[in-house]
Amino acid sequence: MNLELEAYQGLPSTVAGVGPDPVNAPMIRHWCEAMGDTVPPDGVAPPAMLQAWTMGQSGRSEHFDSLMRELEAAGYGSVVATDCEQEYARPLRIGERVLFDSVIESVSAEKHTALGTGHFVTTRMNVRAYDEAAGEKPGEATPVGTHRFRILKFRPTGKGERPQAVDTRPRRPRPVVNRDNAGYWDGVAAGELRFQRCDACGTARFPWLPGCNACGGDQWHAEAASGDGAVYSKVTVHHPLPVAFGGKPYAVALVELAEGVRIVANVVGAAADQVTIGMPVRLGFQRFDEELVLPVFHPAGPDRLPPLRVPLTRTLIVSGAIASRDYQDVHHDAELARAKGAPDIFMNILTTNGLVGRYVTDWTGPDARIEAIAIRLGVPAYPGDELQFSGEVTERGEDGRTVLAIRGTNRLGVHVSGTVKVRRHG
Amino acid sequence: MSLHRADTLGGHAAVAGIGATEFSKDSGRSELKLAVEAVHAALDDAGLTPADVDGLVTFTMDTSPEITVAQAAGIGELSFFSRIHYGGGAACATVQQAAMAVATGVAEVVVCYRAFNERSGHRFGSGLQSRQPSAEGVAMGWTMPPGLLTPASWVALHAARYLHTYGLSPDVLGHVAVADRRHAATNPAAYFYRRPITLAEHAASRWIVEPLRLLDCCQETDGGQAVVVTSVERARDLRHAPAVIAAAAQGAGRAQEAMTSFYRDDLTGLPELGVVARQLWRSSGLRPEDVDTAVLYDHFTPFVLMQLEEFGFCGRGEAAAFAADGGLELGGRLPVNTHGGQLGEAYLHGMNGIAEGVRQLRGSSVNQVAGASAVLVTAGTGVPTSGLVLTADG
Repeated sequence: MNLELEAYQGLPSTVAGVGPDPVNAPMIRHWCEAMGDTVPPDGVAPPAMLQAWTMGQSGRSEHFDSLMRELEAAGYGSVVATDCEQEYARPLRIGERVLFDSVIESVSAEKHTALGTGHFVTTRMNVRAYDEAAGEKPGEATPVGTHRFRILKFRPTGKGERPQAVDTRPRRPRPVVNRDNAGYWDGVAAGELRFQRCDACGTARFPWLPGCNACGGDQWHAEAASGDGAVYSKVTVHHPLPVAFGGKPYAVALVELAEGVRIVANVVGAAADQVTIGMPVRLGFQRFDEELVLPVFHPAGPDRLPPLRVPLTRTLIVSGAIASRDYQDVHHDAELARAKGAPDIFMNILTTNGLVGRYVTDWTGPDARIEAIAIRLGVPAYPGDELQFSGEVTERGEDGRTVLAIRGTNRLGVHVSGTVKVRRHG
Repeated sequence: MSLHRADTLGGHAAVAGIGATEFSKDSGRSELKLAVEAVHAALDDAGLTPADVDGLVTFTMDTSPEITVAQAAGIGELSFFSRIHYGGGAACATVQQAAMAVATGVAEVVVCYRAFNERSGHRFGSGLQSRQPSAEGVAMGWTMPPGLLTPASWVALHAARYLHTYGLSPDVLGHVAVADRRHAATNPAAYFYRRPITLAEHAASRWIVEPLRLLDCCQETDGGQAVVVTSVERARDLRHAPAVIAAAAQGAGRAQEAMTSFYRDDLTGLPELGVVARQLWRSSGLRPEDVDTAVLYDHFTPFVLMQLEEFGFCGRGEAAAFAADGGLELGGRLPVNTHGGQLGEAYLHGMNGIAEGVRQLRGSSVNQVAGASAVLVTAGTGVPTSGLVLTADG
């Protein structure tokens, strides 16, 4: 089909949009509750909320609607958000009214993606705000930030090729548990990596055994590992590649813990070839299916963010969608989501963006300000899974500016990858 | 055998016969049938009959029980039967069992055998799925959920640490891979017959579990191999000159596991083979320089290097240089795996290596080391294991 899509490039998609509500404490609190974030002090809104203040129909131009109609008529009936790039010129505070305009920046040629065939549509929004509560007028609005948003309007591939529901995927081999090592797996369930220590001679031991190899003593107690360690040895498995392990080469490491014992585990949050012997690592836990949680290790060091696990509850997905004023049915109505080919409801990009923001501010603390978040979505995030965030510093500027690379993975793969720019004050 | 003193087993028993089926990728018959054929071939080679046999030894992993092999092979009453555990680590220990039985008069003619359809049937490299919650299952179970599921993956985790410790590239493993295939190239029974490989081909072969490449991995084979053990005196009256069992030893290290000994020492050696080496040298009275050729268990190349170090053929961390210098080749310091090994001839869980040791002493190897009179043979590495020193009679 030969569509005249180039003609839309540069046309406005929103003109003189006005945020339906001024920046307000209830919406901020609702957002923070959904994301598991702390409410920022001093009446400042979380920066990742930027788009939430603009949601609604205000200022929507006919050009954008006409582009959508044209794509739908051409058979590209489905839509998914793929990228969100935001820059924050200044914080937004309670009482400010948001104004916004956006243009259709580009419409791509037809692309073949894992989801299907379609066109990427990118819009760029300029957001301004004025302090309505303090009596300022719209003309006094100053820039708050920019928001580039990319969606894919697409024709889905056949059902067989669609991402499957997580429950039907092949599963990793189960742990082998008996009376001698049940305490270890109880520890994993409790979020601890437990090793044994001999009561008689004090030798730490792993794997779990009912007696001590150093002295033969049969009395022992379990201790929780501090979580610090280093890669002692490491392989990359290329063959065979069971589907349960993602179907692509994966790293398995022998990690020596600070306490002196070793354990075989996966190193996550780094490409297989980036995992090296001697690399400092930090303990985390990852859920692989409904019943399997395993200790994993993340690259550690001053340039690494500690991992964060976010359970993907139905409540998080729905409350995140509502807190971001995104009423698309696929984010809250499982029946309608299934009718559209998804196995269940899935997380909206605004919630993902909010979680990225939370992950970074959890690490920086209140003395830093997020200047930009740019994320790209990969696999969807369905309920019952777990999102595991990892991140590293990729650049340190002299003016307190830091660039972070962030990844969030779930059982299906990489859900979100992106870059966050933060600036630390004094 | 003893951890501390020389034992008195040596010199009492000998390998009098060796026999095998063809080595293939699809035997087309049962593992029991392969076992019976191998036992018959070994008895024929010795000039003995099933009626002479009163002992049978195999691996716990073998699917053909001693009594069933006896039943199908025309063997009558048995006064001795035994099985050894730990996969390929059993190979030389089957001969040790037989020698002990013969030396003590428990049995007179003992056949050791191993037969399987490891390529067309259950392939060890296909990966574990599950294990029962026994002590053994739990030991293996620690590494399964994170994805170490194959022998290659367990060996690779040791090899990566070894290479890292000595600052070596995975390419050094190519010297082992090439030497074995060069020997296989002149062996009509070998999978790599007429197919020598180059270092470049090794380096270009695909990763299996990095740092191991395809050409670092042994064959997967269907077949059977058997050897006949009897007293040295009786062997002298049989068809071939005896291959005297000068020493035989088993070994397990401290904190030993089967393939997953990741939690002990520095992972740069094979302590269980160190136990075997000490016993073999002490009991045989030989030293490394007295050995003319060796069959070193080679399911994967890195453990061949570590064995050279454990047996004292070179110092710690020096095996790669030893191999790179042509040390493993015919005419080298220690010609190794002159039949092509399990990398080049066939993967028979180490039993085909015992047969090659015997051929060297008979002077009938396809890659004969001139005047070979003392041969070292080792069994499975990474597991509790065993070894033999075989010598010419007289």
